[in-house]
Amino acid sequence: MMDLTQPQWVKHVVFHPFEGFEDLRWKKGGTLKYTAIIIVALFFALIAYDRWCGFQFRPLPDAQFSVVPYIMRSVVYFLAWVLGNWAICTLLDGEGSMKNICIYSSYALIPYIVSTFINVVLSHVLVQAEQVFFSTVYYVGLIWTALLLFSAIKAVHQYSFTKTVVAIVLTLAAMLVILFLAVLFLSLFQKVYVFFYSLYTEILYRVRV
Amino acid sequence: MKKHTSRFMRSVLAAGLTLTAALPMLSLSASADEPYDVYNYNYLGEAVPSQAGYLAERSVSGLDLGAGALNSPSDLFKDHEDFFYLVDSGNNRILKIDSAFTEVVQIYEKFTMPDGSETRLKNPKGVYVSPDTGLIYIADNENSRALICNPDGSVVREITKPESTVYDQQLTFLPQKILCDNAGNVYIVLNNTTKGAAMFDAEGNFIGYYGANSVAKTAAVIANHFWNAIASEQEKRYRARSTPTAFDNFDIDSVKGFIYTSTSSGSSDTDIVKKVNPEGYNLFDYMSNFVWGDLFSTWYSGTSYKTKIVDIDIGDDGSINCLDATTGRVFQYDKEASLLFIMGTVGDQVGAFTAGNVAAVETKGAGCENVYVLDATKGTVTVFGQTVFGQIVHEATTLYNGGYYEEALDPWLEVLKRDGNYRRAYLGIASAYYNMGNYKDAMDYAKKADASGRYNKAFERYRSEWLRDNLTWILIVIVVLVIGVIVLKRILRRKQEAALAAAKAPAKDSWVEQAVSAALQHKEEAEHAPQKAKPAEEPASETAADAADGAETKQ
Repeated sequence: MMDLTQPQWVKHVVFHPFEGFEDLRWKKGGTLKYTAIIIVALFFALIAYDRWCGFQFRPLPDAQFSVVPYIMRSVVYFLAWVLGNWAICTLLDGEGSMKNICIYSSYALIPYIVSTFINVVLSHVLVQAEQVFFSTVYYVGLIWTALLLFSAIKAVHQYSFTKTVVAIVLTLAAMLVILFLAVLFLSLFQKVYVFFYSLYTEILYRVRV
Repeated sequence: MKKHTSRFMRSVLAAGLTLTAALPMLSLSASADEPYDVYNYNYLGEAVPSQAGYLAERSVSGLDLGAGALNSPSDLFKDHEDFFYLVDSGNNRILKIDSAFTEVVQIYEKFTMPDGSETRLKNPKGVYVSPDTGLIYIADNENSRALICNPDGSVVREITKPESTVYDQQLTFLPQKILCDNAGNVYIVLNNTTKGAAMFDAEGNFIGYYGANSVAKTAAVIANHFWNAIASEQEKRYRARSTPTAFDNFDIDSVKGFIYTSTSSGSSDTDIVKKVNPEGYNLFDYMSNFVWGDLFSTWYSGTSYKTKIVDIDIGDDGSINCLDATTGRVFQYDKEASLLFIMGTVGDQVGAFTAGNVAAVETKGAGCENVYVLDATKGTVTVFGQTVFGQIVHEATTLYNGGYYEEALDPWLEVLKRDGNYRRAYLGIASAYYNMGNYKDAMDYAKKADASGRYNKAFERYRSEWLRDNLTWILIVIVVLVIGVIVLKRILRRKQEAALAAAKAPAKDSWVEQAVSAALQHKEEAEHAPQKAKPAEEPASETAADAADGAETKQ
C-alpha cells in the first residue's frame, strides 16, 4: 500500500488536500531536497510575476532590479514561517519536527507557484477584457495553497481543526516577532559595524598625523 | 574579496562622476540661452532634461512701451483682435498695447459715466474684453465696482455691491478679476468669499455664485462633518466648519464657453485648476489626483516651495497655461491637461521673474506662438517665443487632439528625434500606428509610453490578426497533438497489459532477476555436485564451539 516514489508523493499530496499529508506522515514520505527546489521555484515565480507578465496586466517593471525583496518574500518568509510554527507548536504539543514542517509546508506552496507561472503565460495571451481568467487562476492557486497549508499543519502536528486555526494565527504572530527581531538585530549590528569602522578611521588619522 | 569590492566601488564612482559631468553639459546644450535648465516629466514622473519649447526673447517695461514706468501691474489680457490690455494698478490706468507688444495704443484713465460725469479708476485689478460686443470689463477694486465700457471709454454699465439677500451684506465688494461669457453674463472673482465667483446677468443683476471649489474629503473633514451632524445648535456655533479654498483667478475659453479657474491657496491640493461648464460642474473632477505644476514640492531651510498657480490662460488652440508664483514657471498643458512645456524661473535675467510676485500669463497666436508673463515687482512683461521644437509639438498636439492620428505621425516622429524623453510623442505614435493597422509597432510605442490601456487595445487586434494568419498552423499543431496523445496512450496501455501479463505468469518480473536466479541455480548445482563427496561441516561446528566457549567464560 502506498509505496510511492518522491515525485509521486508530491502529486498525491497536492491532489489530496484532506488526507494527502496524513498519508505522507504515515509512510514517512517527502524529502528536503524537494523543499529546496520548491522554494527556488517560488523565488522565480515571484520574479516572473513582477517582471515577465504581459504589459496589459501588470505595470512595467522598475528599471532597476533588486533581488533582495524576492529573497525576502520567498526564502526569508518561508524560514520565518517554519521557525515560528515550530516554536509555537512545540509549546502546543505538536508532533512535527522542524524537518517535517519544512517539507509539508513547502509541498503546500506548489499550487500557488504553478498558478503564478500559468498566469505569467496567460498574461501574454489574454486581453484586459478577459482578466477574469487571469484572476480565477490566481485565486484558485491561492485558495488551494491555503487549504493545503492548513491540512499540512494539521497533519504534521496531529491537531484538531480548532487547534490548527489557533496554531496558524499564533504562527503568523510569531513570524512578525521573528522578523521584527531580525530587523532589530540587523540595525544593531550595522550600528556596531559603523562604530568600529569609525574607530578604525579615527585611529588611522591619528597614526598618520 | 575586499579588493574586488573596492574595484567595483571605484568603477561605480567613476561611472557616477562621468554622468554628473555629462549632465550639466547636456542641459547646457539643450538650453544655451535660458537662465534655467529646461525639463519635462517622463512616464515615471521623474524630471528629465528636455528641449526648450519657448525661449525668452525680450523683456518689455512701461518705458519701452512709451507710457512711463509701470507700478505694480496686476493683469494682462489679449483680446480677439490681438490687442493687449495691461492693468497698471499702481498708476490707476489700463494700457492698450499693439499686437507686436512694442507701443501703447491707448491709455484708459478717465471714463464717462452714462449720466455724463467723469470717473477714474482706483487700484484696478482685472480687465476683460468681450469678443462678441467689444465691451471692456474692468474690475475696479478699491472703488468697489466693476465697469463695463465701450472702447472709447464711455461707461455702459456699473456693477456695484449687490443688494440681494444671497449676498452677505456684511461683506465688502472688492472685485479682483472679471470676465463675461457668450451670453453676456458677468463673473467677478472677489477676495472675501469661498462660494465662487459672483455672477451677474447682462443687465447687471446679481444671479448668484458660480463654480465654487469643493472641500477635499480628508479624514479630518469627514470627522468634522460627523461631529457637526450630532452637535447641538449651541455647540455648532463654536465648531469649526469645513470651507473650501477660494479660486482667485480665471479665464474663459470663449469658443467653447468653459471657464477655467485657478487656485493659489497652498492649503488645498484639490481643484487647483478647474474646467467649469456653464452649469457650474467641474469637468476636471475626474482628475482628482492630477498634480498641476511641479509634481514634487521642494523643501529648503524649512520652507516648502510648492507650486502656487496665480494665473491661468487658455490659448487660442485650447492650451492651458498656468503661472506658478513660487518658482516663476509657466506650465503649458494641452487641452487634455497633458504637460507640454515648462518655462521661466526665479531671478533677474530675461526669462526669470520675481519670486511670489508674478501677476499674469497670456498667450498669442493660433499655435500659441508667444507667451507673455507679467512681473509685478519689476513692472515688465517678458515675451517668450516658440522654438522649432515647440512648433512641431504644438502642430502634433493639435492634430492629435483633433483625432488626426495618422497625420500627426510625422510631427511626432520628428519630436522624438529631437527629444527621446518626450512621452506624449510615444503616445501619439502608438495611436497613429494603431489607426494605420500597424499593431506590433503600436504595442511597442504604447509600452514605451507606459500606456497599458492603449497597449491592450493594440494587443487585442494584434492577437486576432495573428490567430487569423496562423489558423492553418494552429489547427495542424492541434491535430498532431491530439493524434500524438492518442497514440501515446495506446502504446502505454499495451505496455501495461504486457506488464500485467508478465506479472501473472510464474516467471520472474524482470530479465535481471531472471538472469540472477538462473545464475544462482547454476551455481547451486555446481556446488552440490562435490558436496556429495566431501561435506563441509567442520567450520560451522567450530564457530559453534567458539560461541559456547564465550558463553562459558562469561558465566
